[in-house]
Formats: sequence, C-alpha cells, structure tokens
Amino acid sequence: MTNASHALPAHARTAGLHLKDISKSFGQVHALSHVNLSVEPGEILAIVGDNGAGKSTLIKVISGVHHPDSGTISVDGVERHLRSPADARNAGIATVFQDLALVECLDVATNMFIGQLPTRGPFVDKRRMEADTRHLLDDLGVTVKSVRTPIGMLSGGQRQIVAIARGMRAGASVVLLDEPTAALGVRETAHAADLIRSLRSRGAAVICVSHDMGFVFEVADRIHVMRLGQTAGVRKVSETNKSDIISLITGVRRDDH
Amino acid sequence: MTIENKLAGTPAARAARDEDGGKWRAILSAGQQAGLALVVIIVAIVFQTLNPVFLSQGNIIEILRSGALYFIVACTSTMILVGGGLDFSIGALYAFGGIVAGALILAGVPWPLAIILAVAAGAVLGAINGAVIVYLKVPPLIATLGMFFAAGGAITVYTGGTNLFGFPDAFNAIGQGKLFGVPYLVCYAVIFGIVFHILLEHTRFGYETRITGGNRAAALANGVRVNALDLKLYALSGGVTALAGIFFMARTSTASPSAGSSSLTFQVLTAIIIGGTSLFGGTGTIGGTALGVLLFAVLNNGLAVVNVNPLYQNIFIGVILVAAVAWDQAQRSRRFKARR
Ligand SMILES: Nc1ncnc2c1ncn2[C@@H]1O[C@H](COP(=O)(O)OP(=O)(O)OP(=O)(O)O)[C@@H](O)[C@H]1O
Ligand SMILES: [Mg+2]
Repeated sequence: MTNASHALPAHARTAGLHLKDISKSFGQVHALSHVNLSVEPGEILAIVGDNGAGKSTLIKVISGVHHPDSGTISVDGVERHLRSPADARNAGIATVFQDLALVECLDVATNMFIGQLPTRGPFVDKRRMEADTRHLLDDLGVTVKSVRTPIGMLSGGQRQIVAIARGMRAGASVVLLDEPTAALGVRETAHAADLIRSLRSRGAAVICVSHDMGFVFEVADRIHVMRLGQTAGVRKVSETNKSDIISLITGVRRDDH
Repeated sequence: MTIENKLAGTPAARAARDEDGGKWRAILSAGQQAGLALVVIIVAIVFQTLNPVFLSQGNIIEILRSGALYFIVACTSTMILVGGGLDFSIGALYAFGGIVAGALILAGVPWPLAIILAVAAGAVLGAINGAVIVYLKVPPLIATLGMFFAAGGAITVYTGGTNLFGFPDAFNAIGQGKLFGVPYLVCYAVIFGIVFHILLEHTRFGYETRITGGNRAAALANGVRVNALDLKLYALSGGVTALAGIFFMARTSTASPSAGSSSLTFQVLTAIIIGGTSLFGGTGTIGGTALGVLLFAVLNNGLAVVNVNPLYQNIFIGVILVAAVAWDQAQRSRRFKARR
C-alpha cells in the first residue's frame, strides 16, 4: 500500500525474522525455553499451543515488551537487541497485541498513530492523521462510522479490526498478531484473513498466534506448535493435518528438537 | 468493496460522518462543561441579586485576579491528571518557589536570575517526584505527599517559620502591575491557559500525555516513552508551580513558608476534577479546569461580597465535587460500558 518499498529486501536469504535459542523465565515459570523460529518475507507463520504454552510471551519478546534471558533475534539479517517496544518498531516490527493495546477514550485516528504521531512543525498533524486513517480503512474495506469515534464506543470486533489495521499501517517488514480473530464473527474473521493475506502479498513476514484451527489452516503457510514453553514441532500446512497438529499441541506426539 | 460501500456509504459520505463523529464528541464534552458554566452563571446571578456590586467591573477583575495563580498551578496539574498521575506536592512547591527566589534576592542575586533559579529548583523537585514514581515505583499520591512534607518542612526549617521581605520594587511589580487596567496576574493566567491548552490538545507531548493516561500499557507497547513523559510532566509541574508561587510572593511583597500549603493542593485538585478531568487519566481539558477554578473564585468572592463567612463555600464545593464526579461516572458507563 503506502510502503511497498518494504517488500522483499535484496539479501533475501537472511531476510525476515529469525530467533535463535530464546529463553525467558518469570521467576520459577519457564515461559520460553530454547525456542528457535524463522519467518521469511511473504510468509505467514501460525503459532499454536495450549493456554499458557508461551505464545504471548514469544510475541512480547519479539515486540520488545519482554527481554529474553538468552538467545538472539535478527530482523532482515541484522541482530537486534530490543530493549523497548520503540526499538522493535524501529527495527520494522509491528504488533497487534492480544489485549489490543488501544486507548478507549481516544478516537480511532489517534489510536492508529500511537507511537508515531505525524507532526507539522511543533503540532500533531490531526488532519493528516484523520485523512490517512480514513484512506487506510477504506482501502481495507473496514467499516467504521467516523475516524473521530472514541475506540470505547466500538464493538469488540470493530476494535480488533482497527488494531489489525494499525499493524498494517506501519508498513513494517515483520507483523505480529496475537489472537487477531478471538472476538470476531464469521464475516469479520474472513475479513481479518484477507487483511493478513494482503500483508503477505506486500512481502511482510507475518506471525499469527491463533487457537482457531480452521483459521490457521486457511491462512498460514507453516505452523509452529508451542507446548510448555518449548517448540513441539513445526509443519508446513501443505504437509500436515489438524489431527497431527493437535497431537503436537497436546503432547501426544513430539518432535525431537 | 462495493458491499462495504453499501454498508458504510460512499467515501464522501464517510468523510462527512467523520466530521459528525467529531461534532458529537465535541457536543458531549461541551455538555459536560456547559453544565458547569451554568452553575457558575446561576451562582453569579444569585450574588448579583443579593449585592449589585458583585458584577461591577472592579469586582469581576478582583475575582479573576484571585483565581489567576491557582489557575496557573491547575493548568500543569491538569496535564498530570490527564497523564494518569497526581501531584499532591504543589501546595509546598508553591511556597518553595517563593522562599528560594526570596532568599536568593536577599542574598544579592539579581531578581530575574533569582526567578530563573527558583523555577529550575522547583523543576528539579518535580523531577524528583517523577523519578521516585517511575524508578522506585512509589504510587504518585505517596511520592508527592512525601515531597509535600519534605519540601514544606525544608523551607519552614530554613526560614524558622518567618516570612521574608524587602524585595526590590521592580520585582514586586511583576505581581502587582496592571496592563490597561487588567492585573498582570490575570494576563499571565490567560497566557498560561492558552499555552497549556495548545500543549495538551495539539502537540505530540499533549497527545502522548492523553494516550499514556488513557492506557499506559498500550502507550508503552506502542513505543511511547512513558517514563520520560512522566519525568517531564512532574518537572513541568514543579517548575510552573514554583513560578506561580513567585508571582504570589511578588503580589504580596512577602515570601511566606506557609503560602499555598494543603489548602492550595485540595482546591486546585478539586477545581480540576469539577472541571471534568478524569481522576483515572486520559481525559480532561484546560477549559474545564478554567471553569472549575472560576467557580471557586466566584464563590469565595461572592460570599464575602454578601457578607457570609467564606468558609460556607466548602459545603457547596463538597456537594458540587461529588455531583460532578457522579455525573462523569454515569456518562462514562453510558458511553463505554454498554458497548463492552
Ligand atoms: N508477566 C508475567 N509474569 C509472570 N508470569 C507470566 C507473565 N507472562 C506470562 N507468564 C506465564 O508464562 C506462561 C506463558 O504465558 P503466555 O501468556 O505466553 O501463554 P499463551 O500461550 O499466550 O496462553 P493463552 O493461549 O492463554 O494466551 C504462563 O505460565 C504464564 O502464567
Ligand atoms: Mg496469549
């Protein structure tokens, strides 16, 4: 869309996102241990796993909210030390959080630009913010009555779509989505799938956490299964089926890693 | 896309609705402030009926002058509340500014420099508030209450509880002069009001303040540097509050360690909340704060003008405060919770 130049960097071999040996503990809880993960540009990687498997923690490590105890993260071939969400954003990583991270008392347009407010001289360029937001929402076919509506007045599904649209707006090379379809109806879920596919066709490396197997098999190229903070297995969608994935999730099967 | 157009209308229609959405929001928040403005007007009419001196030009100017300094303090405290914080130390920092400037002037420092140094000292104490809150994770109420006692105690010890005076006339003039019949203090208040309104509504600093106060986790997750923002907000509060204290000292030609104190803290915070700023952060306007401060000034002056003990105002203020917050809560649940 606005940032087509982000598509497919030249050094395509190391392009995308690569995690090596990432571990993260909260006190006694080993939320992540020795996780390896790769996503290429133009690929959608689904992360699945039971509640508490470490999916959100993994997303938060990649988005700079949590700092891994050990391991490395590289984006487009450059190793990154993400000390804050601002660092992650500067590294080209955009995130749609599970808890959405929207500000209810502020309007849709402002929420689209949190962390990257456009300015004109000393002032925030409100007109541009509203016009860009309206443009993007129209492009995406998102129906929000007014970009000046406070987020708190939208339905759960509308909020989710706005949050996804925000992730797309950034023009990032890596986009993380944590449970993007959790509160969505059938029609909105299909819409979210379209949005995520359009991210892929723009050349973004997309990671999508989801519990919805139908959705995962519909949009993802590969599936990364987490169990108890570890990688239980990684499968190409074309080479697996739901029962295989479910046995990895529940621990009936386990690949050696 | 055509289905979307049917559901949502043409792009032109949608852009028109963007305007509408803004209008409705403006009307809603204006409604909140219109209620307060109405209260101020009714109170003024009552006083005017009881004593026609009340709305004379001289008395109107006196009302504005009496509210001017509290309003300046209230501007920066509004920013802090909107940002999700609270500054209880303002009552002490107000006196602190005066005492530091006064002591420096009496020690021979040229008064313009003394003002700058005292404002900087206030900003440093404010930044300490911010640092204690951000880095030591002490809740704002406790951190700034600690500063209230520490700073208040320090100036009382330093002065032995007595006032400082004997400042140059040129200095005292900054608190006593008039421009075309309007006291400088009122002019300062207008300037601060406009600057803080622009700061809060139109600058990146103001947007990030509202974002952080509205949802700190979201602000952080999206790359707003919330800790740096807090430090700036509290430092700003310390500096501006010290400056207001210096204006007060110039007006009275006296630096008093007991200027401001807890009554300033309570009145300023109450005026801000009556003016529609949320205690929970995220929303609030300088215009609302101006009305809240005006209500205090009108009551204070009016009760004196009609020969009633001004302490009666506390009863009225107490009722208004609770009513304003109850109204705000009702509004909030109607607008937001119903959609959850
Ligand atoms: N900030 C934290 N402090 C302490 N423990 C945490 C924290 N965040 C996550 N955990 C723990 O880490 C583990 C993994 O949690 P995480 O939220 O990553 O799971 P998840 O796979 O996203 O689960 P869900 O499907 O419910 O969203 C859990 O045991 C959780 O309790
Ligand atoms: Mg989760």
